[in-house]
Amino acid sequence: MPELDAVIHQPVRLQIMAALTHLGPREQVDFSFLKSRLALTDGNLGAHLLTLEQAGYIAVAKAFVARKPKTYVAATAAGRRAFDGHVAALTAILQPRGPA
Amino acid sequence: MAEYTSMQLSSEDAARSLAAIDASRAAMRSALRANRGHYQLWLWGLIWIAMALLAEFRGEAGVRLFPWLVLAGFPISILIGATQARRIRSSPVDKRFLGVLAAVILFGLVVPFVLLRGPVSSQALFAYCGLVTMLCYVIAGIWFDTHLLWLGTAMAALILIGLFVFPAIFWWWIAIFGGGPLIATGFYVRYCVP
Repeated sequence: MPELDAVIHQPVRLQIMAALTHLGPREQVDFSFLKSRLALTDGNLGAHLLTLEQAGYIAVAKAFVARKPKTYVAATAAGRRAFDGHVAALTAILQPRGPA
Repeated sequence: MAEYTSMQLSSEDAARSLAAIDASRAAMRSALRANRGHYQLWLWGLIWIAMALLAEFRGEAGVRLFPWLVLAGFPISILIGATQARRIRSSPVDKRFLGVLAAVILFGLVVPFVLLRGPVSSQALFAYCGLVTMLCYVIAGIWFDTHLLWLGTAMAALILIGLFVFPAIFWWWIAIFGGGPLIATGFYVRYCVP
């Protein structure tokens, strides 16, 4: 039976991973854009991204666009696997259980 | 950090989490739709229609305006691409892919001057430029996005059919079956692709 992932289960991180895993495998999203889409503050989003990055679930890339620093984030392959497992575990909880 | 297990989570909590996932994905889906290539397809679809109608109604004088329309389209295209890339971008493109595209465009620009030194009709030249562009679409489609592969293949076939089967109505053909599919594909990727 799939297990819930403690890192992903936190509500904000769950939202972040749901959004990032919806991107294509080669796509990255801008920090500000993600913040506005998820209605989070800079500090809140930054803290949760750090936790996810430390778990190896997301990759953070810095770049300069029109001479301005930009931060792009994307889900890693490990993050996608962990998220899929977490969703499977949530779905399993909702499945009716047969007699023991 | 506390470990969660399925035993500790009620079905109501699980349902709430799954609903939150759906909501987050829906927000990202609408953002992704707004960042697809539909603006580019609409822009170039309109330019193709404008070129075809200019050639149909103004003849050679209209054809001489083609380079200006294309030159006007490029900066708008670059501006659209740059604006969209600031929000969602693809990870750095393989240099070989850019090399292939550059080679196709370079050869595409050189060949008419080398092979077609005699008089050439504006229809044939337009078809040739359109085919080079569609070859770029096909290559991009093979690498990244299958919509571009099908669009490039279908448009190349339509250009050839217009040139060889319906030369008398070529410019109308291009306006409808050249510009039209570009704009229609723009609507499709914007509103229909999940």
